Amino acid sequence: MTLSALAIAALSATANSSATPILSDDFWLPPAASTFADGLDQMFNFINWLCYFFFALITVLMVIFAAKYRAPKGHTFRMDGPTHHLPMELTWLVIPLILVIVIFWLGFAGSSRLGVEGYVGLTTAPRNSYEITAVASKWTWAFKYPNGVVSDDLYLPAGEPIKITIRSEDVLHALFIPNFRVKRDCVPGRYGMVWFQTDEPTGRSRYHHLFCAEYCGTGHSNMNRRVFVLARPDFDAWLAKEASWLDEIPAEELYFRAGPRLYPRCQTCHSLDGSRLTGPSWKGLIDRVNEGSGKFLDGKSYRDVIGPGKEFANADEYIRDSILNPQGHVVDTYSPTGMSTFKGQLNDTAIEAIIGMMKHLDEFDPKTGKWLKEGSTPAAPATTAAPAAGAEKK
Amino acid sequence: MTTINANPDAVLDTHASSDNYLTHSRGFLSWALTLDHKRIGVMYLVGVLTSFLVGGIFALLLRTELLTPGATITADANTYNQWFTLHGAIMVFLVIIPSIPAAMGNFVLPIMLGAKDVAFPRLNLFSFWLWVGGALFAVFSLWRGAFDTGWTFYVPYSTTTEMGGVVPVVVGVFILGFSSIFTGMNFVVTIHKLRPPGMTWFRMPLFLWAIYSTALIQVLATPVLAITLLLLIVERTIGIGIFTPSLGGDPVLFQHFFWFYSHPAVYIMILPGMGIISELFAVHSHRHIFGYRFIAYSSVAIAIFSFLVWGHHMFVSGQSVLINTIFSAISFSVAIPSAVKVFNWTATLYKGNISLTTPMFYALSFLVLFTIGGLTGIHLATLNTDVHLHDTYFVVAHFHYVMMGSALIAMIGGLHHWWPKMTGRMYNETLGSLACIIIFVGFNITFFTQFMLGSHGMPRRYYDYKPEYQSYHVISTIGSYVMASGFLLTAWCLLSSIWLGRRAPANPWGGRSLEWQCPSPPPHDNFPVQPRVGDCYDFSCVVWKEEEQGYIVDRSLDPELNPNAPKRAGAH
Repeated sequence: MTLSALAIAALSATANSSATPILSDDFWLPPAASTFADGLDQMFNFINWLCYFFFALITVLMVIFAAKYRAPKGHTFRMDGPTHHLPMELTWLVIPLILVIVIFWLGFAGSSRLGVEGYVGLTTAPRNSYEITAVASKWTWAFKYPNGVVSDDLYLPAGEPIKITIRSEDVLHALFIPNFRVKRDCVPGRYGMVWFQTDEPTGRSRYHHLFCAEYCGTGHSNMNRRVFVLARPDFDAWLAKEASWLDEIPAEELYFRAGPRLYPRCQTCHSLDGSRLTGPSWKGLIDRVNEGSGKFLDGKSYRDVIGPGKEFANADEYIRDSILNPQGHVVDTYSPTGMSTFKGQLNDTAIEAIIGMMKHLDEFDPKTGKWLKEGSTPAAPATTAAPAAGAEKK
Repeated sequence: MTTINANPDAVLDTHASSDNYLTHSRGFLSWALTLDHKRIGVMYLVGVLTSFLVGGIFALLLRTELLTPGATITADANTYNQWFTLHGAIMVFLVIIPSIPAAMGNFVLPIMLGAKDVAFPRLNLFSFWLWVGGALFAVFSLWRGAFDTGWTFYVPYSTTTEMGGVVPVVVGVFILGFSSIFTGMNFVVTIHKLRPPGMTWFRMPLFLWAIYSTALIQVLATPVLAITLLLLIVERTIGIGIFTPSLGGDPVLFQHFFWFYSHPAVYIMILPGMGIISELFAVHSHRHIFGYRFIAYSSVAIAIFSFLVWGHHMFVSGQSVLINTIFSAISFSVAIPSAVKVFNWTATLYKGNISLTTPMFYALSFLVLFTIGGLTGIHLATLNTDVHLHDTYFVVAHFHYVMMGSALIAMIGGLHHWWPKMTGRMYNETLGSLACIIIFVGFNITFFTQFMLGSHGMPRRYYDYKPEYQSYHVISTIGSYVMASGFLLTAWCLLSSIWLGRRAPANPWGGRSLEWQCPSPPPHDNFPVQPRVGDCYDFSCVVWKEEEQGYIVDRSLDPELNPNAPKRAGAH
């Protein structure tokens, strides 16, 4: 396969939209897809049965009493109802007390005999865990792998303990994977951790949901990603592919091969069709910069900072800086805290691809960011063979 | 019975005269500057119910938006975010916190004590105007660009969001806090100093125990919220780093401060509701409340425990495992006094003389809803199950069962209970009970689905959601419409009674405490002299009087008030 065919393959895999989420039809709880999920569900169900029992007890007694002791107006009151009964009251004080002590202990320590996984087990990752870093920012996730790969969706090896170190670039977020029963806030200025052991592989056609569970503003409800669990060999192939896909694209094809694959990271805030989102639209961006007419929040105009001999020699340099240091020069009427740095998430090649895309914006679909000239590419037939080659959405 | 009336103290004069608190003086200023606790209570009630209407409209907007994934009635996620923030902030700070203590408590507390007014009537009026001021700031914040922080104002989002309404609304909540503190202080002093002869601590109606416990929390916890909000304002306006990491602060510190108030605040909301329910069960069962002391102590226990459990809001926020474990253990302690109350209320029905009145329907609804709300709290206090359920609709459902299904239902129940006393009119009971049933059904459709939704992993505060959650959302939204129609029916039922209702007797339900022994509506001074009281849950001296279509409290039958009273069977 030629290099360009590989790149096309990668591009086609971006449209991995046919994959479906893994759901359950159960009354309670989603599918259990981590090794401890069943142990947690056991606890949930145990508490549920307790709830059913006490709910039924109270409701039935209430209905019976309310029906049996109804008294019409004007009837002489019976006065034989007890006003208190110490042994009875102590009984219904002590029984719940014992129950909650048991529940607390099971919730904390678990019990292998009852098949309950305790909280302690959730907080201690095994030493041999595969380590991933998750960086949350408004409103994207970046999952960083040990070899430097940064991915938008979460890919995991199957049947292995995984430890995810969590941080945030801006406000509070929370990493939540319902099918794994894990959740952890991403607190800026702190590191957090979740660990779990994956179960069966999902392949690339099915995935688990990953949500942001802590309110973080406009894009909060769309800050969800997919979790693919791959058998170890597939995972390794994916990881290797991811590490090199950008480098394998010839420089002149970069903007239309890599650009559309990188754009999803940007699209929550930057439109291609000129509509106003959290950040400025990319439409006409290069023209505005070259004309120098736009203004920044601090009152300076583009002309003041961009141009030969100024802070940024040209538009490319300014845009690169906006990606790596977005709070340096903020375009007028936009939030100074709207964007967080992509330093460490996009390398120079990736930034080059994005700038290239901005410069050739008329070649892309203004809604989806898809490259419109794709059909004319001679290498197109390679697309069908792509997934087997291990190429995958970034 | 007629012979008993020979004793002048036998029945307090309950004949409604033309001079009652509503007609005592006229004109706008006679209300705006009134020192009469009853008028202040009524003004609070109007304010609270108006806020409830506004908060309810936001709730319906939210539910309607959630009918479909993505855009339904607004294409802008920010608008949705503002709606849920306003819904939460209005319902918590303007409705539930002041509803029972400030509105019901103000009206009922001094009358229950047989007092003329609260201890500090001027402070009471000041509290009310502070409440109005706080509410105006909330309105002002909308004009300044609204806010989208959630009612919790979590940093760093609240210090960095672009919306201009954050500082005004935080100032508003700060002011509302003082309104709450002053009301609490007033009630503590009133209960300590103005109890009538014969009313020892363990003779107080349980509503007063609840209000007293609540007042203690209000006085002790609210200042913490005040200082936290001040720090937030300082950080947002002049950039002093306390909570925001980029300024050297710690966002988790804000959560600790916030929940140190806001968890006790949950009990500020529910405790008075429990107090009302104790009254409703006793009065409408015409039977001594079962286990008075346990209920009274459990109110105090809840008030104390409420200060020790705030960390359970932060199990996944980055607290240490040890702290989480300790908070989980302490959180379970709240289950005990709550369970005691539920069992004692149920036992109060046993061998009672139950009238299925509208207030009783609310009390029974409360019992069911609070049982569900309380039991699902176990899932959330348990460490390992909370990790999955935290910040999902399961939590939303849980706290709506407690805050709305319990606290608010108790408030509406209390409103129906004391409405004849407040207005001097009886509402249509069939309509009132029907509305209660509609609300009950609608409530469960709305929120029980949300337990399922949350357990399947739907996070809260989502404008958009995955298609598989839609069926739950549609059912939930339909439930909210049912509930809304129930509330509209309730509003019609109560308001129409002012014009259409028959005159209320002094004691329409057969209550025993002092507020049922003064005319409906009460005169300006409540009682000519502070009456002596006996056991306020002893219903043996409550008798039905056909010609008044109401009950009277025949004090001559009470051995504590009349040594010559006939001995009765079943006395304790």
